[in-house]
Amino acid sequence: MSELATLARPYAAAVFKRAKETKATVKWSESLAFMSAVLKNENIAVVVDNPKVNKEKLSTLMLDICQEHITEENGNFLKLLVHNNRLVLLPHIAKLFEAYKAEDEGYVEVEVFTAYTLSKEAKQSFTATLEKALGKKIHMNVAIDKSLIGGVLVRAGDRVIDGSIKGRLQHMQKALQ
Amino acid sequence: MQLNPSEISDLIKKKIENFDLSAEAHTEGTVVSVTDGIVRVHGLSEAMQGEMLEFPGNTFGMALNLERDSVGVVVLGNYQHITEGDTVKCTGKILEVPVGEALLGRVVDALGNPIDGKGAIDTTETAPIEKIAPGVIARQSVDQPVQLGLKSIDAMIPVGRGQRELIIGDRQTGKTAIAIDAIINQKGTGIKCIYVAIGQKRSSIANVVRKLEEHGAMAHTIIVAASASESAALQFIAPYTGCSMGEFFRDRGEDALIIYDDLTKQAWAYRQVSLLLRRPPGREAYPGDVFYLHSRLLERASRINAAEVEKLTGGRVKGKTGSLTALPIIETQGGDVSAFVPTNVISITDGQIFLESNLFNSGIRPAVNAGLSVSRVGGAAQTKIIKKLGGGTRLDLAQYRELAAFAQFASDLDESTRKQIERGQRVTELMKQNQYSPMSVAQMAVSLFAANEGFLDSIEVNKVLDFEAALQSYMKSEHSELMNNINATGDFNNEISSNLRTAIETFIKTHSW
Repeated sequence: MSELATLARPYAAAVFKRAKETKATVKWSESLAFMSAVLKNENIAVVVDNPKVNKEKLSTLMLDICQEHITEENGNFLKLLVHNNRLVLLPHIAKLFEAYKAEDEGYVEVEVFTAYTLSKEAKQSFTATLEKALGKKIHMNVAIDKSLIGGVLVRAGDRVIDGSIKGRLQHMQKALQ
Repeated sequence: MQLNPSEISDLIKKKIENFDLSAEAHTEGTVVSVTDGIVRVHGLSEAMQGEMLEFPGNTFGMALNLERDSVGVVVLGNYQHITEGDTVKCTGKILEVPVGEALLGRVVDALGNPIDGKGAIDTTETAPIEKIAPGVIARQSVDQPVQLGLKSIDAMIPVGRGQRELIIGDRQTGKTAIAIDAIINQKGTGIKCIYVAIGQKRSSIANVVRKLEEHGAMAHTIIVAASASESAALQFIAPYTGCSMGEFFRDRGEDALIIYDDLTKQAWAYRQVSLLLRRPPGREAYPGDVFYLHSRLLERASRINAAEVEKLTGGRVKGKTGSLTALPIIETQGGDVSAFVPTNVISITDGQIFLESNLFNSGIRPAVNAGLSVSRVGGAAQTKIIKKLGGGTRLDLAQYRELAAFAQFASDLDESTRKQIERGQRVTELMKQNQYSPMSVAQMAVSLFAANEGFLDSIEVNKVLDFEAALQSYMKSEHSELMNNINATGDFNNEISSNLRTAIETFIKTHSW
């Protein structure tokens, strides 16, 4: 996984540069997401993993599937990946691309897990606090996780702020040992 | 310790009261691969070199390789339950172990957990295992002796407090025996001992513990054991653990002695860890930093001055210097001291005690090769009397070695050569000493005095040890005041010299052996 991320980095950097030049970051972001989603499809995965499928057929197939969602440049990138046998890197490239985009636009992707749905006001004040704590603008995705029992768990990249009841109970369990 | 249920619930209540309820922030990563105790973790972008990382199941690891997308972690202990996808947490701490007086008399593993079945260790203090050695300003030169209790070593290769003296030799040459005698001899001197066993059989470690207990030496000793069955990571960190425990005493103005038995096995363990972390191998497949591995460890053994002790204790201890003396052990293969690790450690230490298997097999025990063994700083620390009397011994043996080859032509040799050979044979014989019977300064002085003044020359070579034993018991019973005086002051003057002479002369006249 980590090795794949290393391989994907130059591709992602190149794509992001090109996207910025052509001012098409949003479009690129969408199509990379779509292409990664296609690769996750079981039937496609079998074809991609099969070494007997020749490169031309594979790129035609991919282009056919993605046709309506991608631009010509996206298509060229896809062909390049197929030619270099690096199609498996696509999800990593998409992820890294998002990271570059977030950095460039000055925000962080934050995942928030709560046990119960947050009210609108709560969400707003929470966003403000998090932005202050992280020192950046945030894009917040909220998900419900009943197993937390209560409280919130925030995940921003590698950083985790655990304010959930579950986390505190685990912490207490360790302290009492 | 017995607790009744209400006390237990009180304890729990107290812990819950003091429990910190604030949200916990940390960095997390996921396990990518687990191979032979090495775990690759994705994420953990804020991990530090040497940081303690927490795995599920109360297991800890140490971050050793920090790469762009992943961290190479060595698991400290069992790694069988760690699987791909597990989350790993940063703790923000460098690996720490418990230290303190409470550890004396205990056997602990490389992480400081007790393994002697005597219950928890009652100490709250901890210290990081990797510390930078004291600086130049903090140091003081070595000028107090550590008596190992072995005639041949204390007379010819003296060790001072704060010195690093290597014990080197093939397998089965009595390296550990010297170390154990050194620990036993520290009983009542106030020097705390730490014995670090690396990659040894559990049975050998149990033996050492039993022998120390038998001789009443466990009370001032800590044993850090990373046996052969424990993971390479633990064997690699064990010496640093022991060193931190020793530094605790040094930094409080006390004296400590640490024995690393042996650093060859630690280098092997480190080689294994490094190769599994895919660091490039160098000479003998050791990684590039194997010199630093030992130099940073041995550099921490030092003598620090009173000002530094005062600073470190916050003014509680004044006017006392602290020291940590190290006796690292290196095992050579077939007497080859020019192998990689032995040459490294020889160049780091302040001298070496060289043990030889042919000496050992010909019955000279301890099998010290007096010619190749040196102590670069110990001379300044020797007691006056041993320094005065030991010098002659060293010279006698050096001259004897040159002439030893001619010993078989004894009848054809001139008078002075024959005398030198005979003196050498007797001194060599006198340097023999049984295991677990360390000698005091006065006892050594008597034996050395007898040799220097030529009292041994009229005694048959195979009777030398009997003579010595009889003389020692005579001195103990008839001249205990003189002996106590020598032990207390360590001085040597005309009065002591003439007292010793008359005592030995009377003994020769009146006793048989």
